[in-house]
Amino acid sequence: MNRYFLYLVLLNMLINVIIFVPKILIEYRYEGAVMGVLIAIPLGFSLNVVFSKMISKFPEKGFPEIFSIAGKKRWFIILPFGIISLITFSSGLISLLGFVDILRRFVNPEMPYVYLLSIFLTGVLLIIQLPTDRVMYLLEIVLFLNTPLITFIIFKAFTSEFLVWDSILEVGTYLFAKPSLKAIAAASYAFSGYTNLIIFNRIIKGKLKMWNFLVILVLGLINLFTTFFIPIGFHGSDGAQEYLYPWISTADSLRLVYSPIERVIFLFLIFYMGITLMSVSVHWHVAFELIKGTYKESRKKNWAVLVIFTCCTIICAIFLNTILLNKITVHWMIVRLGLEIMIVGLFFIWARRKTA
Amino acid sequence: MPTNEVEQIKESLKSKIPKAADVVFKELHTKEKYIESFYIKTISDETVLHDKLLKPFFEQHHPEEFRNYLESIPQIKSFESEEKAIEELLNGTAVLFYQDSVFLFDSKVDRNNSVLDTSVETTIQGPQSGFSESLPTNLGLIRKRYPETFLNVDITKVGKISKTEVMILHDTRFADPDTLKRIKDFLSSLDLQMFQTGEQLLDSIKKSNRAMIPLMLVTERPDRVAVNLATGKVILLVSGSPFAVVLPTVMKDFMSSMADIYQTYWVSRFLQLLRYIGFIISVCLPGLYVATTSYNPEIYRVQLALSIAGSRNAVPYPSFIEVLLMLFMMELLTEASIRLPKAIGPTATTVGGLILGQAATEAGLVSNIMIIIVSFVAISNFVVPINAFSFSLRIVKYFILALATLFGLVGVVIGFFIFVAYLVKLDSFGEPFLTLVQSKPQPHKE
Repeated sequence: MNRYFLYLVLLNMLINVIIFVPKILIEYRYEGAVMGVLIAIPLGFSLNVVFSKMISKFPEKGFPEIFSIAGKKRWFIILPFGIISLITFSSGLISLLGFVDILRRFVNPEMPYVYLLSIFLTGVLLIIQLPTDRVMYLLEIVLFLNTPLITFIIFKAFTSEFLVWDSILEVGTYLFAKPSLKAIAAASYAFSGYTNLIIFNRIIKGKLKMWNFLVILVLGLINLFTTFFIPIGFHGSDGAQEYLYPWISTADSLRLVYSPIERVIFLFLIFYMGITLMSVSVHWHVAFELIKGTYKESRKKNWAVLVIFTCCTIICAIFLNTILLNKITVHWMIVRLGLEIMIVGLFFIWARRKTA
Repeated sequence: MPTNEVEQIKESLKSKIPKAADVVFKELHTKEKYIESFYIKTISDETVLHDKLLKPFFEQHHPEEFRNYLESIPQIKSFESEEKAIEELLNGTAVLFYQDSVFLFDSKVDRNNSVLDTSVETTIQGPQSGFSESLPTNLGLIRKRYPETFLNVDITKVGKISKTEVMILHDTRFADPDTLKRIKDFLSSLDLQMFQTGEQLLDSIKKSNRAMIPLMLVTERPDRVAVNLATGKVILLVSGSPFAVVLPTVMKDFMSSMADIYQTYWVSRFLQLLRYIGFIISVCLPGLYVATTSYNPEIYRVQLALSIAGSRNAVPYPSFIEVLLMLFMMELLTEASIRLPKAIGPTATTVGGLILGQAATEAGLVSNIMIIIVSFVAISNFVVPINAFSFSLRIVKYFILALATLFGLVGVVIGFFIFVAYLVKLDSFGEPFLTLVQSKPQPHKE
């Protein structure tokens, strides 16, 4: 059943197009993004391996179950659970707001932002209440329907005659620029799908094998190369910076000559609707389950959490515009990386004591 | 054969054949002699037994005389081995224990004439007969296709007034005991006055008694029942109904036709793919039409967008009204052609489908492309092999149409995934209704 682990990591790799990773990387392309990516790969990958290995010592248990044995003091649970759920919630929130913003720009320009958000919110709120295994089954179906076609689009991009390899090579020459922290944080997001194991470990049966991590490493390399360099190849090393959403604009530069849907951007966005829906749902499901783990099962409190989620989203939707969201994301990425290292480290020490 | 060996055979036969409701073990006595008979009454012809066995038994007084009679009639075969005897027994033979020997008395019944042809789940090849309306006959049909000692049959009664007999069949090797317990609990918790047919259970499975997606497969094919028994499903047979209920049911069962195992591998794979595509088309296409004509016509290449817009040129109202109008007309047509007598049916389809559609386009009420889409939706809806499920899909497309009207393209995609999420959420007696990879049943260890 190790394929479930792959899905979680793959989901984050796919969603980083929406969550401003290409934008951040391209912004720092002359100031250490290349080196940043090269550092982020071993960093993100090793965090991934350490955490997955450690949590697989508690088979079929999520964080709430693991710590229910350990915690006598309630604050010991509430504080870290609160912080982690805040991070996963905000991760989902950024991709949701980012994607709805994209949709408003490219698909439904006349529709009010909150109105368009409401349908996503309905879907997500319905999905996160499902049991964990059902969320995973749904994720599997959505990935099965969408990933092959997204892969096809990426293949199209790589084989397009308008892809200028010279621009990519030019950016490649900035390899030895001093690595930027922001770029490292953004690039390591591609590997951070493992954090969802906090809850989704419940349904992972058996040990994670070596080839699992190997696949993740290869996918991560391809993914980071694609997110970073393809827009540069299409728009030029200087021009790529001009775009708010470099990858969406890249998809818009592609054309399927024989297809009834000629502009790739629509296909791309249709596929990403499902991916984003699932990514937000998975992250929020983790947040929701973690919060649920801090109190005894009660319907009223569950509803209260859902209402808080909704209110937060709508307030953020009203007050954040694209630029602000982008700026916040840059800092959020750094905070996330820091917390991730901290959590993995603490969990590593705790788990070794516990199991030794 | 020594007497204790006969006793042994008797005991071991009794223990090997589970005490199903239709297994008969009977002793007959006269002053001089006695005989024991062992048979399954639902697949044995009791009139034959009566004429050829009971009558002579009471007419001939001398024990040896009767023995000679038994040995000379053609229905009698001598006992060879226990396995052979069990096999014969499950095919309708009666086992007789007389004095110190064992006989097999051929009392198989041939019911081919009383069984109806399939009318709902038709296939091109493979068995063509369905169930009858009599419970013993139906059980006999299943037993004939499933001659296994592991087939277990329980009887309960459902319905306060109707007190309808319901048989619960399962293979003890494959069926999950938890699932079986859930099903029995479900049947005993039913609060129905009149229970006529298995389809009534479709709603009762939910607490609110209001279900949208059927979670049980109702079938008229004994071969489907036999195949499902071998995969660990539990079967309900209802007295007086020519349909059997298969539990638990997942979406894969609704999308499979019995023809799949009567075709070559790639053909059946292709047909299955076709059904899933039909499923998606029939649910999404009306919504997509509204989304792409009213919200994002630029999604298509220019020529296509123009020809769609051109054909809508004469239509005086927005696309969602056009779609609703045509879908409504199509639903009426479908419904009418079910109700009509078979002789008039084709007329209704011709008048409704061809003439009305043509006239509606010429009058400028709907576009040409709309007609194509509506027929596309209708046809792909009928590709789904199980009727109960395709009826549910007919409703779902309105949900997606409504979302498309309100949100455009986003509504279609998110609406479809919400629908899929709903399917994933459902479960049928503990089995998830929709997963990408369905786990296969394994024989559990005793």
